Amino acid sequence: MNTAVIYRKEAWYDLLSILRTPGFVIPSLAFPVVFYVFFGVMFNSGGASAYMLVTYGCFGIMGPAMFNFAMNIASDRAHGWLTLKRLSPMPVLAYLLAKFTTALVFSLVIVALLFTIAAVFAEVRLDLWQWVLLAVVLLLGTLPFALVGLILGLTLSDKAAPAVVNLVYLPMALLSGLWLPIHMLPSLLQQASWIWPSYHLSQVGLKVIGMDQGHALSIHLLLLTLSSILLAMVAVWSFKRLTGENA
Amino acid sequence: MMFALAVNGLYKAYAANAVLAGVDLTLAAGEVLCVLGPNGAGKTTLISALLGLVNADSGEIWFFGEQQQGATRSLALRLQLGVMMQIGSLSANLSVYEQCDLFSSYYAQGYSAAELVQLAGLAEHAKQRFGRLSGGEKQRLLFALALAGKPRLIFLDEPTLGMDVEARQALWQQVKQLRQQGVAVVLTTHYLEEAEQLADRIAVLHQGRIVAKGSPDELKALMQYKVVRCRSCLTDAELTALPAVLHLSREQQLITLQTRHAEQTVRALLHADQQATDLEVRPVALEQAFLHLTQNPNTQQEQAA
Repeated sequence: MNTAVIYRKEAWYDLLSILRTPGFVIPSLAFPVVFYVFFGVMFNSGGASAYMLVTYGCFGIMGPAMFNFAMNIASDRAHGWLTLKRLSPMPVLAYLLAKFTTALVFSLVIVALLFTIAAVFAEVRLDLWQWVLLAVVLLLGTLPFALVGLILGLTLSDKAAPAVVNLVYLPMALLSGLWLPIHMLPSLLQQASWIWPSYHLSQVGLKVIGMDQGHALSIHLLLLTLSSILLAMVAVWSFKRLTGENA
Repeated sequence: MMFALAVNGLYKAYAANAVLAGVDLTLAAGEVLCVLGPNGAGKTTLISALLGLVNADSGEIWFFGEQQQGATRSLALRLQLGVMMQIGSLSANLSVYEQCDLFSSYYAQGYSAAELVQLAGLAEHAKQRFGRLSGGEKQRLLFALALAGKPRLIFLDEPTLGMDVEARQALWQQVKQLRQQGVAVVLTTHYLEEAEQLADRIAVLHQGRIVAKGSPDELKALMQYKVVRCRSCLTDAELTALPAVLHLSREQQLITLQTRHAEQTVRALLHADQQATDLEVRPVALEQAFLHLTQNPNTQQEQAA
């Protein structure tokens, strides 16, 4: 058994399977692009394009991460695919990393599309290091949302997963200031935004272009790390519950 | 003797409902064990507990002489197992060859992707996506994937569901070949003909207990009667009054008698109706034995013991 080959094939076939699902690919890529073109390019005023590049970038990478994990894992569970894989010698980590790789590929494409539109049509001008660092932040930011999707996929039925992901995804994006600048939200919601990882991710991204709210970078990074650890622990617990180890 | 599988006193309950109430089983290499039981008998829970998909409350599970702890199954064990689950589906968007390529990568000593496609008999559909295969073709592919690692022990849960007659017989042939190669097979099925064709031993599961086990012939022998069929002008009252008759049923003109002593019944029948036609005496079919065992589990448990 060549472990590297298993990881590579799992990742490739997971991506291939998703790419052959236009119902997933088209909305995942079109949603953030259409939003950004509409609000960031067509109604561009006072440097909002750069700000919205970051917030819609966050919004864009959250979707595929959460939906790919939640819907596909719930579906794999419902149809016995995950059971079959767990009974095989395939490392479970290979299955999870494959899904994460797919989410990363989508994030990369979304980031490339948004950056191109921002630079060409919205005249966003950043230094090279800012483009690169912003891309890295957005790609790394895929992780906590993949973990949210993983938890939902391990706990929900395949029929409930899409609706619940939308119930989490859309309010979280709105309440984190990804659609409207955070200072436009009521003060109570602004304070509550601290509970969302998407808020902290957007603040890290905004810090790269100097448009954040001014809190210390270390606080956002710490809270992102802690929320990722907490989500990972819940995901592990959900997986063990699924296998009956806690029964 | 080291068994491929040994189970002692396996117990699993959900709330106060015991789904497995002390199951004991053994399975040797090169043997086919068929687990039969009506819906809700505990077959799926038994297979799930053996495979570590659910955690049994108590009891012992041994694979190849190694006792299993909880729901964990080691990598070394999983390399030796093949599994075809009843609810088994693959990614609808991957082709037959791609599924085989993925599964063959899990095993260093297993079949190649091309060999798996051949084993499934789907060479002509190698580029077709799983979601577009017929029900029988999907089953054939899942069966081939269960063989991907050349397992020493294979679990087949309703393997021929949805297959046409030809495909079913081809799969039976493959199971017989596996047995000849020394592979141990655990088979669950609702098709009694399949059990009779393939099983060296049958375990009848009812309400979480093994109520009878033995070869198909031994189970049929538990029934102390034979079946006499004929066409006759005698009335139901006259037929049930024949010696040793236990039960009578009619299907259009055809009469079926269950009798404790077929010779006595036939002699008396021919004496009473010399025009009786289409006369035949049959041993009890496995189906009748199965129905009797699951409807009268307590009496048969004593007989089986």
